[in-house]
Amino acid sequence: MKPLRDILAKLLAMSRTSPVLDEPQRFLLLSIVIGIFSGLVVVCFHVSIEFLNWITIASLNPPSKWILTLWPAVGGFVAYAVIRYIVPTARGTGVNYTKTAVYASDGYVPFSSVLGKFSTCTLSIGTGNPMGPEDPALQMGAGIASLLGRIFHLTRDHMRLIAPIGAAAGIGAAFNTPITAVLFVMEEVVSAWNAGVLGSIVLASVSAVIVNRWFLGDDPLYRVPGFEFGDYSELIFYAAIGIAGGALSALFTRHAIALRGFFLGFTERRRLWLPAAAGLAVGIVGLYAPETLGAGYEVVDGALHDRFGWQPLLLFGVLKLLTAALCFSCGTPGGLFAPTLFIGAMVGGGLGGLANEIWPLSGSIGPYALVGIGTFFAGVFRAPMTSVFMVFELSASYQIILPVMVANTIATLVSRHLQHESVFQLAGYQDGLDLPSAEERRETPVMHVEDAMRRGRGLVVPKEMVVREALATVEQNGGQALLVDVRYGRWGWVERRDLERAVEDGDGDKTIHQALTPRPAIRTHPDVPLDQALRKLAVYPLLPVASRVNPSSMIGTLSLEDVHRAYGISNRTAQRDSPAQSEEAAQP
Amino acid sequence: MQQRFTCQICQHEIVHPGEECPYCKSRSVIAEGASPRILVIVFAVMIGFFALTTMLAGAFERERRDRGRQHFESANSLMKEQNFDQAIEHYRDALLYSRTETSYQLGLANALFAAKEFPETEHRLVELRGVDPTSGIVNHRLAQLAHRNGHIDEAVAYYRTAVYGRWDDSTEAAGDGIRVSVRLELVDLLEEAGRDRELAVALQELTEIDPNNREYRHRYAAKLLDIEAPEEASENYSLLLESDPRDRVALLGRAEAEFRLRNFLTARTHYNRAQALGSDPATSERIALCNRVIELDPTRRGISVAERYRRSRVLVDRTRNVVMGCQNPWGDGFVGPLPPLPPDLHSVLDTADAVLRQTRDRPSDEKVEANILLAEEVWAKSRPLCEGSGPTDEALGLVLAKLAQ
Repeated sequence: MKPLRDILAKLLAMSRTSPVLDEPQRFLLLSIVIGIFSGLVVVCFHVSIEFLNWITIASLNPPSKWILTLWPAVGGFVAYAVIRYIVPTARGTGVNYTKTAVYASDGYVPFSSVLGKFSTCTLSIGTGNPMGPEDPALQMGAGIASLLGRIFHLTRDHMRLIAPIGAAAGIGAAFNTPITAVLFVMEEVVSAWNAGVLGSIVLASVSAVIVNRWFLGDDPLYRVPGFEFGDYSELIFYAAIGIAGGALSALFTRHAIALRGFFLGFTERRRLWLPAAAGLAVGIVGLYAPETLGAGYEVVDGALHDRFGWQPLLLFGVLKLLTAALCFSCGTPGGLFAPTLFIGAMVGGGLGGLANEIWPLSGSIGPYALVGIGTFFAGVFRAPMTSVFMVFELSASYQIILPVMVANTIATLVSRHLQHESVFQLAGYQDGLDLPSAEERRETPVMHVEDAMRRGRGLVVPKEMVVREALATVEQNGGQALLVDVRYGRWGWVERRDLERAVEDGDGDKTIHQALTPRPAIRTHPDVPLDQALRKLAVYPLLPVASRVNPSSMIGTLSLEDVHRAYGISNRTAQRDSPAQSEEAAQP
Repeated sequence: MQQRFTCQICQHEIVHPGEECPYCKSRSVIAEGASPRILVIVFAVMIGFFALTTMLAGAFERERRDRGRQHFESANSLMKEQNFDQAIEHYRDALLYSRTETSYQLGLANALFAAKEFPETEHRLVELRGVDPTSGIVNHRLAQLAHRNGHIDEAVAYYRTAVYGRWDDSTEAAGDGIRVSVRLELVDLLEEAGRDRELAVALQELTEIDPNNREYRHRYAAKLLDIEAPEEASENYSLLLESDPRDRVALLGRAEAEFRLRNFLTARTHYNRAQALGSDPATSERIALCNRVIELDPTRRGISVAERYRRSRVLVDRTRNVVMGCQNPWGDGFVGPLPPLPPDLHSVLDTADAVLRQTRDRPSDEKVEANILLAEEVWAKSRPLCEGSGPTDEALGLVLAKLAQ
């Protein structure tokens, strides 16, 4: 007992003294803590869904089929009622919620949304609604991270980054695939490659996956049989699956969003009944095709093992597409990840099976189903890299990587051609959010110094040049400042008004060196982003642009006017805002 | 050491919490850095949550296992009733609860195999083999599947792994029996594929495992004859005859082996014994051939020099007749020029004619030897002419082959 008492006394003493960790250390430690907490929550979430599933649609002593049909409706209704009356913060998609936390609310995700998502999604998915637990898990992770960030009193910058870390932990634990989780969060939530947050996201994701495996085992989401990619001509069929997956995903996105928009026009009271109606439809479909109920992991597993022929696969895919779109648009709690994987696998497997009937290829439907998994996902979420790595991580097969890359890339392109925005983006617009997407960022070209700089040494003069001549050079080039070559690859700068004042003071025939004291200039480089250079231009009117390999050699200059020109801002505006112009205007 | 605080707006470090930030003048956002007390609380909550999750996951795991077992048992009962489709569904349900349970997976694979759902069976088995590559039962099923699909090499490899693989403890008592039955399937496969040498090896292994099994030895000996190993075949038939001298099949097998070893006397003895147990035209023919060979053989022991000399002359004469028959396969009625004989054959035939003309010679061992050599020479030189045409003299051929030995 004594050692324990000593430890407690030490801890107590520590608690009265200073913080033991500084901000970056706290942030890293917090990433692991977030991962562990998220992993634990996802385990409980998974267990709760399964328990409810066993009590309702997967009962060992099932009641009549008609009662089974009603379960999804009951689950959907109760879940939506809980959202409406108890936890309205659990509404919407987890991805958008997390993005809002990153871009709009300084990393704040209310903890009530975690509890809300947990309970409502358990109710809806556990009773057989065709939704997935991954997106709610992502939001729960973000909520936990946000809460911990607040408890640990992180700075605002770090608070903004904390939600994606939790999101990665949540989705990593739900999928049991750490790399996919990291990529998805970087691609879809952060919408950019941020080296500062990458390490923390990886730490959180891995911690969460470890916790998940600790409790639920190492089993992957699907047990993928070993596949061999035999003939390159098969790539044609994989490409066809990509086209089909892309087209279907665009169709799904467009119609699900249109339907959602239509239902959003209903009054709140009427909307309350929509998940029940959708659940009833799901139940009736499930009566004839029970494979379409719930997340459907085991059905995908069956497709990968050639359990079904191509006709039932296509039928399941179409039915799931309809029921998932209906539930999503009616606001049934749950995510779209699992349904997209299901639909992709069914369509891919179905088309592969059909192709096998016409032109016997590998003889197995499994590889086509596996490739199909990623195509629909890539098309709906516009996360091609995640989809490729997800299939790779699920199958652990190098053989399948080429067909997956071909099919997913085509699916993304086709989907994007037919439907420009992703489902999350469109849902965000409907919810009044305008959040950035990775696609948007990719499309916006980043301008660099080399795109705006004035090449050559037109605005560079030797220090021995007389002031009057230097002023003429500035006027001739239409600039506001000059760079003076001091020596040994160092430059100073003088403003046009300094030169004018020197001329007025009668020093026009003196050299610059004698009449003025050039202030030291700092150089920039051609590859530097223009917005970064712009910050320097706030202090220095003219920047020498030097080569990276020979910093003493100047290859051009950059001024505010050059930046304006590059961005297409008119010269008139630039002149109006320039200080020299303002001074002139101020003079009588 | 003094505690530090940070302004959340401007990130400046400040001294007093709760007061206005001297840099950005913000007040409400001033935050206290995390103290160890918070860390301790967070870790305590984490440990509590961990314990709660452990309890919940434990209950979940127990329920899952129970449900899996229930479905598995139902599936096994249905398999016994040969209701494969229902059994498959129950195995699938069992696997939903315990996906890594190999016995469930194997049960499903067996049910799928029985229901002739071969593509899925193969997937399931390959997956199981990935988990346990030495599993006897999995390799056995894969071998059957590969055999069914006509992949003989693959099937043979799977059978071999199954033979030397690991079988479940429950079947360990009958392990040898299972292995032998797998070997027999392999033997059937090799026989079907016509891979005689591998088949003989498989059969030899079987006779080594169960030396008293007459069926294996019969098949082994017969296969040895097929692959032209008459000496070993004779040994195996002898072993069979030791335990049952009235085994007609063994007698015929031994006789055939001895015949191929050119031990015509022994062969005839065994043919006769087999004939005594039950006659058939083929055996009678064989006995007659043996008799003709024995009567023609000039090297047979126990006959006089005169008889040997006579036989050697008959040998030369019949050899010559065969060659003439080769030159004129159309018979005596043929009118026209016959194809010319090769000069070397012509000369030895002249010598043979000369030998046959000398009817008053005194028999001697030297002359017998010379006649035999002459007959062999005529026979050897006539081969290019007689290949694929002309009359055949089976007894003569056998005697000359024996002499050449």
